[in-house]
Amino acid sequence: MSSLLQFSGHQHLRHRLVLSILSGKHVRIDKIRSDDKNPGLRDFEISLLRLLEKVTNGTIIEISVTGTAILLKPGIISGGALSHDCPLSRSIGYFLEPIVMLAPFAKTPLQLTLRGITTDEHDLSVDLFRTVTLPHLQLFGISDGLELRIKKRGAPPEGGGEVQLLCPIVKQVKTLNFVDPGKIKRIRGVAHAVRVNPQFSNRMIESSRSILNRYIPDIYLYSDVYKGDESGKSPGYALSLLAESTTSAIHCSEAIFKPGVAPEDIGLEAARALMAEVNLGGCVDRKHQIPVLLMMVLGSEDVGRCLMSEPTPRTIQFLRDVKQFFGTSFKIVAAEPGSSQLLYSCYGTGYVNANRTLA
Amino acid sequence: AQSSFASSRKSRRKDWTKLIYATSLTPAEILQGEQEEGSGATEVEMDEEDFFQIKRTADAGQDEVLDQSKEALSAEELKKWEDEEMLESIRHLFITGDDNA
Repeated sequence: MSSLLQFSGHQHLRHRLVLSILSGKHVRIDKIRSDDKNPGLRDFEISLLRLLEKVTNGTIIEISVTGTAILLKPGIISGGALSHDCPLSRSIGYFLEPIVMLAPFAKTPLQLTLRGITTDEHDLSVDLFRTVTLPHLQLFGISDGLELRIKKRGAPPEGGGEVQLLCPIVKQVKTLNFVDPGKIKRIRGVAHAVRVNPQFSNRMIESSRSILNRYIPDIYLYSDVYKGDESGKSPGYALSLLAESTTSAIHCSEAIFKPGVAPEDIGLEAARALMAEVNLGGCVDRKHQIPVLLMMVLGSEDVGRCLMSEPTPRTIQFLRDVKQFFGTSFKIVAAEPGSSQLLYSCYGTGYVNANRTLA
Repeated sequence: AQSSFASSRKSRRKDWTKLIYATSLTPAEILQGEQEEGSGATEVEMDEEDFFQIKRTADAGQDEVLDQSKEALSAEELKKWEDEEMLESIRHLFITGDDNA
């Protein structure tokens, strides 16, 4: 039961920790940047470990003196009302992604307040998380009371944003059968501009529309306004877009401000990135392959199927790691001969939330 | 547009299940379509006489790969979408488009 799995390197840390906690298997990760000038765990990784400690009960985390090796003995996922300050080296999205994979299997529903940077170029922004990641969880029956509230914006470098994640608990996740990508029927988006000219939002929206308007009329791009204390400590602006299909497949993109780049160009960048994502096809956006595949593994004892584009490098490693933790391997075949669309199928493990308090 | 779709389809024929579970190729190698038994690994042991090996070469290029789920937007990929024809080529993916565009 308490078998120990070994990994090396700092990469893929988040999903390995998640898999360890879900499976109850101990995990040891060594050679964490051991050849780096500045070896060991980064502040955001330590912060993540602390957050996982808060969300769980009985978890033992041992970090070596040099910080280049950790041992995680997972406890149970407890959930409840919690708050956590994220370091400014990574945005809130970095922390939300692993948490949302654990929270449905907690003892009590999670109400987590996170403070820090709400949008940056590395991780999913809180907007994409709210409008795209959460609907992906709904595919698996995690829906009632699932919500992300964006209370304050926080642009890099100073941050100052605040969000609250509300996640219900489930007994079991549903088996996914999502093989029809459908056709795109609407495009939605959120633009925000804090501590800069509020017109920047509209300028991003206008320029992205110059590309998007040609396809469909049902486009609604919302300009999200934050004032005073709610707009964080640093100036910034960004546009996030999503395209939703007739079968509720969602593809998304995002572009954020860079020094010396006009809002118009940010708008165009977001729109073009959305087209690139749409063109890849499938029922699940590339950024959401991992959470979807994980929920498929945890699904009831039946064959789950999902049509997606090619796996990303992270997804490939995730699939390999899943096999180690859960023994589940996916069958991945072209949807039709020669097609770049791939059908991912696996037999669910029938994972049951044993932490849940019986009501 | 149709011909470009056809050619891109032909170029990729992989046994994904086998590549992922039955080989030790790195994810990047799988995606680049590298053959099994890649040539990269064997070159390392060439100079045994040189006592001081310069280890930098491998490390320098990839100083830090971040664990991030948002793929970096490649300028090249975005450039493609400045083209009218390219934009038209995905019209069939929208409800307003023709089925066999």
